[in-house]
Amino acid sequence: MLKAPYVTNYLTEHFGEDDYGTLEGYKRRGGYEAARKALSQMSPEEVIDQVKDSGLQGRGGAGFSTGMKWSFMPKDSDKPKYLACNADESEPGSFKDRIILERGPHLMLEGILIAAWATGAEKTFIYCRGEYAFPGACVQRAIDEAYAAGVFGKNALGTGFQHDVVLMLGAGAYICGEETGLLESLEGKKGQPRKKPPFPAQYGAFGMPTTVNNVESFSHVPFIINNGAEWFKGFGTDKSPGTTIFGVSGHVVRPGLYELPLGTRLDEIIFEHAGGVPGGKKLKGAIPGGMSMPILPAGQLEVPMANEFLREHKTMLGTGGIMVMDETTCMVRAGVVISYFFRDESCGQCTQCREGTGWMHKVIERIERGAGTDRDIGILEDVAAKMEGQTICAFADAAAWPIQGLLRHFRNDFEEHVSRKKCPFSESFEL
Amino acid sequence: MLKISVDGVEMEVEEGRTILQALDDRGVLMNGVDVPHYCWHPGLSIDGSCRLCQVEIEGVPKLQIACNTPVQDGMVIHTQNDRVETARQGVMELLLVNHPLDCPICDQAGECKLQDYAFEYGQPHARTQEPRRALKKRYDLGPTVLLDQERCILCRRCVRFCREVPGTGELSVFNRADESVIDFFPGNELDNDYSMNVADICPVGALTTKDFRFKIRVWFLEDVPGVCTGCSNGCNIHMGVANNKVYRYLPRRNDLVNQTWICDEGRMSYKSVGAPDRLQQTLLRGDLGVLEAAPFAEGISQAAGRLRKLVDAHGPGVVSAVASAHATNEDLFTFSRFLESLGSETSGVAVVNGKQDDLLIKKEKAANAVGARALGFGDARVVAERVRGGGVQALIVMGHDLLDESILAEPESLARLDTLIVLDTHRSNLERYATVVFPVRHAAEKAGTLTNHAGRVQRIEPGVEPAFEAYSDGEVLAQLGSALGFEGWDGSYDVAQVSEELSTRQPAFSGVHLGTVGSAGLPLPGTPGKAGRDS
Amino acid sequence: MVISEEIRAKIDAEIAKYPVKRGALLPALHLVQSEHGYISNELAKELGELFEIRPIEVMEVVSFYNMFYDSPQGRHHVYVCTNLPCSLRGGRDLLRQLESHLGLKPGQTSADGRITLNHEECLGACGYAPMMRVGAQYYENLDLEQAKKILSELE
Repeated sequence: MLKAPYVTNYLTEHFGEDDYGTLEGYKRRGGYEAARKALSQMSPEEVIDQVKDSGLQGRGGAGFSTGMKWSFMPKDSDKPKYLACNADESEPGSFKDRIILERGPHLMLEGILIAAWATGAEKTFIYCRGEYAFPGACVQRAIDEAYAAGVFGKNALGTGFQHDVVLMLGAGAYICGEETGLLESLEGKKGQPRKKPPFPAQYGAFGMPTTVNNVESFSHVPFIINNGAEWFKGFGTDKSPGTTIFGVSGHVVRPGLYELPLGTRLDEIIFEHAGGVPGGKKLKGAIPGGMSMPILPAGQLEVPMANEFLREHKTMLGTGGIMVMDETTCMVRAGVVISYFFRDESCGQCTQCREGTGWMHKVIERIERGAGTDRDIGILEDVAAKMEGQTICAFADAAAWPIQGLLRHFRNDFEEHVSRKKCPFSESFEL
Repeated sequence: MLKISVDGVEMEVEEGRTILQALDDRGVLMNGVDVPHYCWHPGLSIDGSCRLCQVEIEGVPKLQIACNTPVQDGMVIHTQNDRVETARQGVMELLLVNHPLDCPICDQAGECKLQDYAFEYGQPHARTQEPRRALKKRYDLGPTVLLDQERCILCRRCVRFCREVPGTGELSVFNRADESVIDFFPGNELDNDYSMNVADICPVGALTTKDFRFKIRVWFLEDVPGVCTGCSNGCNIHMGVANNKVYRYLPRRNDLVNQTWICDEGRMSYKSVGAPDRLQQTLLRGDLGVLEAAPFAEGISQAAGRLRKLVDAHGPGVVSAVASAHATNEDLFTFSRFLESLGSETSGVAVVNGKQDDLLIKKEKAANAVGARALGFGDARVVAERVRGGGVQALIVMGHDLLDESILAEPESLARLDTLIVLDTHRSNLERYATVVFPVRHAAEKAGTLTNHAGRVQRIEPGVEPAFEAYSDGEVLAQLGSALGFEGWDGSYDVAQVSEELSTRQPAFSGVHLGTVGSAGLPLPGTPGKAGRDS
Repeated sequence: MVISEEIRAKIDAEIAKYPVKRGALLPALHLVQSEHGYISNELAKELGELFEIRPIEVMEVVSFYNMFYDSPQGRHHVYVCTNLPCSLRGGRDLLRQLESHLGLKPGQTSADGRITLNHEECLGACGYAPMMRVGAQYYENLDLEQAKKILSELE
């Protein structure tokens, strides 16, 4: 089991305590009181309003208002409504949901129950990535305990509200983290994202109205219900309230998880919390929000980690997965690794994505080998532009943005490969 | 109805349609406003993956795919501006990243949408240096179709077709990303009654039919609109003609008849036009009792002489007739008038039944049984019964469906006839008993109209000329009537005139004739005129 | 029938959780694969019957997901993460060293059928790199010696 985050706040406060993952331990620390309050004292509308007022943004990467998303669910539908919990955490650099699944599964389940009440959903499908066998097992155990104690089922928490929870394991496909790819996979199909319209709130899992939220998004909800929207807004920035669990990886002294308010400065996270770059080396660049987000160079790390600030630097918070690269790092090699990933994981539906990811990878690899030309750099920029904003889902954007970021800030690395006809970074990680 | 504007042109469109559907409904797609597309097809579910049909909608920041974006009242759409064209160029360049540059040896060249749009939106020089995907070529998908995986642009039309139209689902996309390929499950190859449609809807040269591959470059082919005569559905076709030869039938879109499809059997029936068993000469039974080639005029005079003799001796009651459900309304109308003039009162139409399905394949295996019945032809079995009973001395037969055992189980009974006059396109056992045989024109060789199972009257036009002397049934009958001295029969035959006369004289055909049916056909008054199952 | 009664019963239990039978296809594939090691065409046919879908629909799903196999694999799958966070902390070095230690290239299976070695994309262990996955088990913060020891203990 994972260790607790290095820095905790309200969300992960008890993650260091082993019994917190059990129903008894969770309840002893006030668990399921928020759900009880929501289900017995609040109307669904009041719950949605409170979550809306809190300003909670989805923690799965897109940062859309969670309460707003809930409000899209049809009020008077004769069809069953569903929730899906996106536990397909696959964004390179992200490993925050995993700790919730392992150490705080009831927190997520409580959030689910509250969301179910708010949206009128009768069932939640938790879609957990297939590789997360252990975190999945932790969740299943929590579900079983919760059922045994009457938290879920026909009479959830004794309130008469019915809600069921099903855990499903995926089978290794990054694209199933895209909400409609997830729905397809849930239906036993290839995880190829759906064209919109229709949107999931009208036509979701098994054709029924469905809302998909990320693991961490659900997990903030019990705190908002217990403490109120104003309390929640006391953390983070005006526009991005609350904390999040930042994952720090790469060239830092203490890679790991840090629960910090949104808006905490990137340099503070890297240098103060994660101990900075080891071996006295200088930092070259850092990806702020999982691999699909454009990189920031050493000079731009004073940015507060919240979308309203990151956007000014042409990047985004994403999943809060921070990847740090020291001065030895060859950014072209990083580009090879990044573009390979997206080439491998494209679902293959849309032309631009299927063909563009492959082409970009081939070109970057050639540049890295020393066989690139000046024209190749232009091709990369052009292909990235052709992929951006034109496909069924945001995967093609996610594949294009990091390459655009590398070219924006580390074009010199690419140009040197071309002019010297070899990789000039002798100490960089090997491919 | 909603109002939208497309490239500055205001149009009314139906609510609930997507932009591409709405343009297609109005018939302006490809015929005015060309919104290029690969994965969208009017007869298949919307896929939305090729991304070529992106258009700009005022007030919407991103380009949207026309195939999946519902029309809204007041929508202002641009399909031709710089932004849209740049996006198309992007899609085209990316589609060509892995597509082999083998147009000179690709059979699709000339009718390839990749070629067409690359010409329109592509760049003159490829910027790719990397090797293209190496995948299966000439890959046998089943009895009818080959796949070239390298040429495939993964539009998934074929996958959706198999799942949605015949419902057989033999094809899938396997793997993902740029390793995606079309394939089938071992032991369950592409083998259904409609399999070759996948080659038609494949926008590139990935799927080709074994039958048509490398037969001829398509730019040598002239497209002649026609109707398939394999069954009573009357699927609309394009005959591909060159050098006076039919090379293929392709489905021609008619949403009221066959959508854009045709069954494999109907498609392959083009072979019957140039088949080796075509009747090519007038045949006369000579003194030795053997059928011998004779000049057409000699055939007419012999046939007329024998008929005249029998009628004079025994009255017209000894002459019976079997009409062909393959003949046109005009042929059949002429036949009925011929019989009327002769005074013969027993005639019927021979219709062979066979397999049917819920899609296109109809029970009656001829194109014009409904027309024949509308013109008063009864059941040929009645005639067959009379022949068997010995009450018929002369029989005039169009085609040879009479020989089907469901109609005439004992062909030997034809030996009882004094005179058997046959008008047919192909050879058959009727020759054993025939006195005179006239070769007639195939539906691909003449003009006229055919009435399908639902009462829709459709036009055919000659695509080829027979390489031998042959006339339409109507022309042969006009000559025969003239030789018999029927009043007003001078041997001339103008199909358009006959058609008009038919429509005037036969209330069932009121207002429906060659001059009015157009390319999509017209229903007979009081008939549905569109798809539905045989009763 | 090739799928055992026991697995069949577990599949039925999964099917009961979904409003549409096919929802349980991925769980069923995991279960069947745990018994048979990979999804053969024969198994696809059986699953097709069970789920009332065509065998090709089973195999297209198998082909889409990394964790399903359509051909026999080693008894243990050893995956070393080579995505960026792991690469930055020696993931690729670890893979190269294991390749020479085992005499296998990525994707290959040892002659005795014991180990299939491969690289894998991000496994959500970025803060604990380098790491490898052996079947369902994660091993994190690895060095070569630890990795070798783990592999030597596999049956």
